[in-house]
Amino acid sequence: MTRVLVVEDDRQTANEIKAALGDHGFEVEQAATGREGLLKAAADPYDAIVLDRMLPGGIDGLGVLSTLRAAGVVAPVLILSALSAVDERVRGLRAGGDDYLTKPFDFLELTARLDVLLRRQVVPQRETMLRAGKLEMDLLTHAVRYAGKAIELLPREFRLLEFLMRHADQVVTRTMLFEEVWNYRTVEPTNLIDMHISKLRRKLDCESTEPMIRTVRGAGYMLHAAG
Amino acid sequence: MRLVDLPRTSSFRLALRFLILFGVASFVLFGFLYWQTNHYIIGRIDAWLAHEQTILRPLDRDTLVQRLTAHVVADPTFERPATLFDPVGMRLAGTPLSLTGATLAGMPQDVPMEFGLQQDHGPMRFRAVVHRRPSGDYLVVALDMDAQHAFADVLVNAFIWGGLITALIGLAGAAFIGAGAVRRIDGVTRAIQRIVNGDLSERLPTHGQTDDLDRLAIVINGMLGEIERLMQEVKGVCDNIAHDLRTPLTRLLAGMERMRRRAVSTEDYAAAVDDAILETKDVLNTFAAILRISEVESGARRAGFTETDISEVVADAVEFYEPVAEAKGVQLVHLTPEDAPVTMRGDPSLLFEAVGNLVDNALKFTPRGGQVTVCGFARAGTIGFEVTDTGPGIPADEAACVLRRFYRAESSRNTPGSGLGLALVAAVARLHGMDLAISDARPGCRITIARHEPVFGSPDVPISGAEFGHDDAAGRALAEQWVVVEGAGKTSA
Repeated sequence: MTRVLVVEDDRQTANEIKAALGDHGFEVEQAATGREGLLKAAADPYDAIVLDRMLPGGIDGLGVLSTLRAAGVVAPVLILSALSAVDERVRGLRAGGDDYLTKPFDFLELTARLDVLLRRQVVPQRETMLRAGKLEMDLLTHAVRYAGKAIELLPREFRLLEFLMRHADQVVTRTMLFEEVWNYRTVEPTNLIDMHISKLRRKLDCESTEPMIRTVRGAGYMLHAAG
Repeated sequence: MRLVDLPRTSSFRLALRFLILFGVASFVLFGFLYWQTNHYIIGRIDAWLAHEQTILRPLDRDTLVQRLTAHVVADPTFERPATLFDPVGMRLAGTPLSLTGATLAGMPQDVPMEFGLQQDHGPMRFRAVVHRRPSGDYLVVALDMDAQHAFADVLVNAFIWGGLITALIGLAGAAFIGAGAVRRIDGVTRAIQRIVNGDLSERLPTHGQTDDLDRLAIVINGMLGEIERLMQEVKGVCDNIAHDLRTPLTRLLAGMERMRRRAVSTEDYAAAVDDAILETKDVLNTFAAILRISEVESGARRAGFTETDISEVVADAVEFYEPVAEAKGVQLVHLTPEDAPVTMRGDPSLLFEAVGNLVDNALKFTPRGGQVTVCGFARAGTIGFEVTDTGPGIPADEAACVLRRFYRAESSRNTPGSGLGLALVAAVARLHGMDLAISDARPGCRITIARHEPVFGSPDVPISGAEFGHDDAAGRALAEQWVVVEGAGKTSA
């Protein structure tokens, strides 16, 4: 079972996160201060750590993070913060964080991102061919085939599909798509991502018998590999 | 204002200080005048005494006695005494001065000097030259100084009275000026008190003059106008926030109450909860947009500034909004300039969002079959973005309003949107030192955000950023760049 450490000082938020992650099938440990989080993370190997940026007491989130990284803890760390400025995000990632989520956030967004972080460890990103069911993507020639039939995609559609294929069978949120595929960090217009997805869908569904990209209500999208 | 407060007023004190300064200056001037006049008169007297001596001195004793005897008759009031004494001090001829031989012997010879004598009819002061003749006789030529002293007294008296009158007029003037200034200051103070008490429409009184106090009042009035405008804007924003949030919250509440009354199955509950989640997300999104505008306006995002290719931003925005244009049947055109890629210092995400908002806005108001043109341009020292549509356009009197948060033009009340889009664009533009301009494209509307850049002569300086004084970080970066250049110069030398 996947074990996640949540370092968050606000009891209610911590409980909500614990409940959401518990529902998702994770085993959750809580820590309310930076010191406690540090001790727990160092004593016990966790699969992932959710770390609040602002923590009371002597050591804040970034302090915990850099200490953990210096101590050789490699578990992926997702930073939660009320600070949304770009340099805050950069500072968090530079200190060794793997992802950064601004409060208030969606719990589905949190679990989706944790899934991606956990999967990133297992799947190497160096292959040149991506496969999901009958769908094939050649990263070198940018050729996409479904059951051997070529599908013509625009560059952005290609990148959209690539991201979905890399995270096949995982929930991918609209924010993740916007950040990774368009590479801008602002509040994304949700309906526009949906429009781009439906254009991509139309091209894929011409060839496939059942929809490859499914909408996960309230969360985002998922590409079904076993299609 | 009471009279006792007068000495505490600054204008009265100033007037008083000038009065004292004037008094000291007058005193010095008078002293100088007095001294000069005196010096001149004494000089004239001494010259006359010397002249008399030179006339009388060469005469022999008998002629002298004769002349002096005649002189006594000609000068009965002893105004110009001239006397010949023998060596022991006996008067031989001339004015009967009560001088003794000892006194005469003790007097310096041939130089003018002053002395007082107790004459028969009272004390008198004389200025005289005593000459000892070879025979041992003393020839004294003198002049009565009383007239001269009386003249000096008149001069001093005139000064004292003149000074007193001037001082009185000066004091009265100072009080008058002080009282006038105090009246004006009191007026200003009362106005400020009314403003402090909450009447922001109050203005400081001016007197139609262009003196310093009036100029100050005019500047402060301008500031008050701006504060009043901002306060009204804040109030408007609060009202709008209240309205914009109350609507979804009311819907949320109504939905939940309905669920409480009617829902029978788990599916009913699930659907209602999903609706509630959507409504709540809407509320959170509105909040996030407000917070983002504040964040952008506070300048916190300058840290994310990099060299940004403006046509790439435009291309991405056009590509991103293409599906919307397609769905609406509006042609979305990206005008690409022929020249090399143009970069500017900025936050690419914010610029993307700003251009995106402009495109979104233009698409919203352009009817089917219309066209929206987007371009990033750099020409003649101006760099920026331009979005033109063929929609109904923005009336001139609404152009300024649309930049306000939550403002919705009357005609757009039924179009979905938060009314925050253009406010965010304006905030992003300000952060990048750009101006937002709305113009009439006949037909349609053109919105331009652009920065005017001075042209640099030196090729060493990148013509790219906000290094023109209003960006500290960029200024520092530029300074560091210069340091590096200097350092390199030293190394090569």
